[in-house]
Amino acid sequence: MLFVLSEEHKHLGFLSEVDPAVVGESGRIAVEFLKKGSNPKIYEGALNVWSGSVQHGLEGLMYLLTESCKLTISEEDFQDSVLVLGFSEELTELLLQLYLENRKEIRQILSKPAPSLPHYHSLEWRLDVQLSSRPLRHQLKPTVTLKLHLEDGARRSAHVLQTDPATLQHLIDELERALAELKSSHCRRILHNIQ
Amino acid sequence: MISRFRFCGDLDCPDWVLAEMSTLARMSSVKMKLLCVQVIKDLLDEGIDYDKVSKLTSDAKFESGDIKASIAVLSFILSSAAKHDVDSDSLSSELQQLGLPKEHTTGLCKSYEDKHSALQEKLREISLRLGRLEAVNWRVDYTLSSSELKQVNEPTVQLKLQAQDPETDSTQTTVVSITADKFRVLLTELKQAQTMMNALQ
Repeated sequence: MLFVLSEEHKHLGFLSEVDPAVVGESGRIAVEFLKKGSNPKIYEGALNVWSGSVQHGLEGLMYLLTESCKLTISEEDFQDSVLVLGFSEELTELLLQLYLENRKEIRQILSKPAPSLPHYHSLEWRLDVQLSSRPLRHQLKPTVTLKLHLEDGARRSAHVLQTDPATLQHLIDELERALAELKSSHCRRILHNIQ
Repeated sequence: MISRFRFCGDLDCPDWVLAEMSTLARMSSVKMKLLCVQVIKDLLDEGIDYDKVSKLTSDAKFESGDIKASIAVLSFILSSAAKHDVDSDSLSSELQQLGLPKEHTTGLCKSYEDKHSALQEKLREISLRLGRLEAVNWRVDYTLSSSELKQVNEPTVQLKLQAQDPETDSTQTTVVSITADKFRVLLTELKQAQTMMNALQ
């Protein structure tokens, strides 16, 4: 799968005008920006080129990397896509190396902002027996108290639930049935086709 | 080899625990016992001394990953054994079956035996409790007069209860004021509950 480079990518043109060391440095800075957010002070110090084109150039490089990682394109496709910009073989090779080395990490960063539901963090539980209450003595009522800890990005929430053993057993049976679905032939066929 | 282990709650031993036995064996048995002491301090919330830990693991040339793994596996073994109330001899035989050398096992089990009750006490303390009552304060007032009635002449109790909110774990304060009659009822009921609790202990 190729990705199409458009008018905007003329900004990457500055890369062919500088020597390979600078390209390497720009690549490293672009990856840092993808990890931590952009920091304009670095433009001036690290690269001795006019700041306007440097900013666009770096952004162009970041876009090149994120688009390639988004589509997880193969080496040949990457090279073919970049061919459009008319870079030297050496430069193309440098960019390819940059892509391959950082691909996994950038994909991880890209996977984060996707909308998600709070997910399981941990579960605390307690088994009690109610022996007596104000209106009624001599009881034997077992209850299970659960505290479900969930995490949603940085936010933690806790939910307190209480149930009797019969309902808990029913809950367990339903969840086991859900897990067993994964092993059904229908599910296996789909997972096999995705992977 | 038996696959069910008492210290794992009669379940299979997790693969990662088995894998770290060889990491522990790289230390001398004396140093491993000292590391156990540090891990137990951590489990009891007494604070772990990371400088001591790095000195103990330096001979075996542990990298930071190895240090973390050895602390994790020792924490697991000690807390899980305490959780399932495993005796020291059974733990010793099970750890040797997993491949931990005899001298290391002896050292670990000695530390375990020494701190067995303290560990269980700590685990009991951190067991799930909802809305823990943290403090009770009271005050007795005598109302002389009010806008409704010139001569009220009534004692009341003001109770301030500080408890933990079950879902957020933050402290919540509740203040209630109780008339003499209502308070008598409350006290009688609570004394009945107390009698029942004492009978159970």
